[in-house]
Amino acid sequence: MAGKTIVVTSGKGGVGKTTTVANIGTVLAKKKHSVVMLDADIGLRNLDVVMGLENRIVYNLVDIIEGKCRKEQAMLRDRKLNNLFIIPAAQTREKDAVQPEQMKELCRQLAEEFDFVIIDCPAGIERGFKNAVAGAEIAIVVTTPEVSAIRDADRVIGLLEASLLKDIHLIVNRLNYRMVKKGDMMSTEDIVNLLSVPLLGVVPESEDVVISTNRGVPLVHDRGSKAGIAFQRIAARLNGESIPFDNGYGDGFLERFKRLFRG
Amino acid sequence: MQPSDTLPVQIKATRKGFTLIPDRDTPFAEILTYLERRLKESREFFQRSTVALDARNRAFGTDEILQIHRVLKDHGGASLAEVRLEEDLSFWLDTRNGGSPLDSKVSKSKQQDNAPLIVKHTCRSGMQIVAPSDCLILGDVNPGAEVLAMGDIIVFGNLRGVAHAGAGGNRSAKIWALSIEPNQIRIADLVAVPPRGNKPTPKRFEIAEIQNNLIEVITI
Ligand SMILES: Nc1ncnc2c1ncn2[C@@H]1O[C@H](COP(=O)(O)OP(=O)(O)OP(=O)(O)O)[C@@H](O)[C@H]1O
Ligand SMILES: [Mg+2]
Repeated sequence: MAGKTIVVTSGKGGVGKTTTVANIGTVLAKKKHSVVMLDADIGLRNLDVVMGLENRIVYNLVDIIEGKCRKEQAMLRDRKLNNLFIIPAAQTREKDAVQPEQMKELCRQLAEEFDFVIIDCPAGIERGFKNAVAGAEIAIVVTTPEVSAIRDADRVIGLLEASLLKDIHLIVNRLNYRMVKKGDMMSTEDIVNLLSVPLLGVVPESEDVVISTNRGVPLVHDRGSKAGIAFQRIAARLNGESIPFDNGYGDGFLERFKRLFRG
Repeated sequence: MQPSDTLPVQIKATRKGFTLIPDRDTPFAEILTYLERRLKESREFFQRSTVALDARNRAFGTDEILQIHRVLKDHGGASLAEVRLEEDLSFWLDTRNGGSPLDSKVSKSKQQDNAPLIVKHTCRSGMQIVAPSDCLILGDVNPGAEVLAMGDIIVFGNLRGVAHAGAGGNRSAKIWALSIEPNQIRIADLVAVPPRGNKPTPKRFEIAEIQNNLIEVITI
């Protein structure tokens, strides 16, 4: 059976797509799945940096597509998990070096070999976005609780729906509970209500994320981190495990909804 | 238990959700009460399901459909995703002025291009919808989306984007929505920007119309 192809996208830049890909890829690999992460952010690659593999790159995504190497040659194996790979983006090429059809074919081939193919999408809704979503059958839309990020997420969801990619899930990243409580930040409830796609999880704002990015070690390796736990729960849901939304982890707003309905 | 052909509303399970088939002779209030009771009896059952309303046998006013929408949402956690109509879609939209649905059906069906445009999904940021007559949206209009209609705009959801009714200059055009908290609303040649600050959520639905040369939003 073919593996799952998942694109992580957002519209607005810098909201946490690459962080999400690195962490859920790592968790799924820890759960013994074979995983390949594809950096489709051509010209602005950074998945390799987050994974701490920057200095090992020889070939990249564009090389595979142009036939300059076999896809196995471009795959970098993770430093800790031997069933986790990344295919880096080309740093020096333009986005139009790749066609959506070519991405689709590559994803199809990868899905034959791997349980999960996770694609890191560039910001924006132009060519790079179209390439990144072309081969995916599941989309994860990442947003922060800011009006501009939510507006872009909404736009992207509309474009995904129009391109018949209807299996869409939402991650709210960088939530600051203190600010939500004070009414200075939009709550998860409001965001889900507006975007009307199912919630995969909520990741709190945390310094741990920045530290792990700089160390090149995904957060989920660190047991104590709250943001890391949030990504573990997200990946488990993606893996089909039933993880209830729970106030102890800050994603418990659904419980409150249910209570309202029960009267 | 009443035999099913005389129930005020039959609720049929389909592959995609549920279909409501209302009895053609039962008064609307009875249909609504019955529906509410059924939903309350089986709360969890309808949670998050999508419901279609089969209106081919029986004409509904816009406000009646809005009430059904509310009851489904409040008592069943379900959403009204589709209203099934006859080929000519225009007749039931006009019943709110008290005219008999059948009369308006006859008079309207002569003008084919008057059929309202029905959009069956949420209008998201960046989308623009242009309707030659009335426009009916079964979903929210999100910030950054724009709906433009020569006639009325009816939103079975929250209006948070831009809506322009009576775009051809018709000042009697109206905007209906479960809640109106838009970026901007326009009717004919008038433009209104909502006041800043939060307002309480309305009980049923809201209408924007021109009163004394100003756009006013009334909560019913
Ligand atoms: N939950 C969080 N708490 C604190 N900082 C975060 C969090 N998530 C992401 N960041 C930081 O935000 C920055 C951007 O994250 P990331 O690179 O994952 O975003 P992106 O969406 O991939 O960006 P781009 O659009 O440029 O590709 C990084 O410096 C990262 O460490
Ligand atoms: Mg990135």
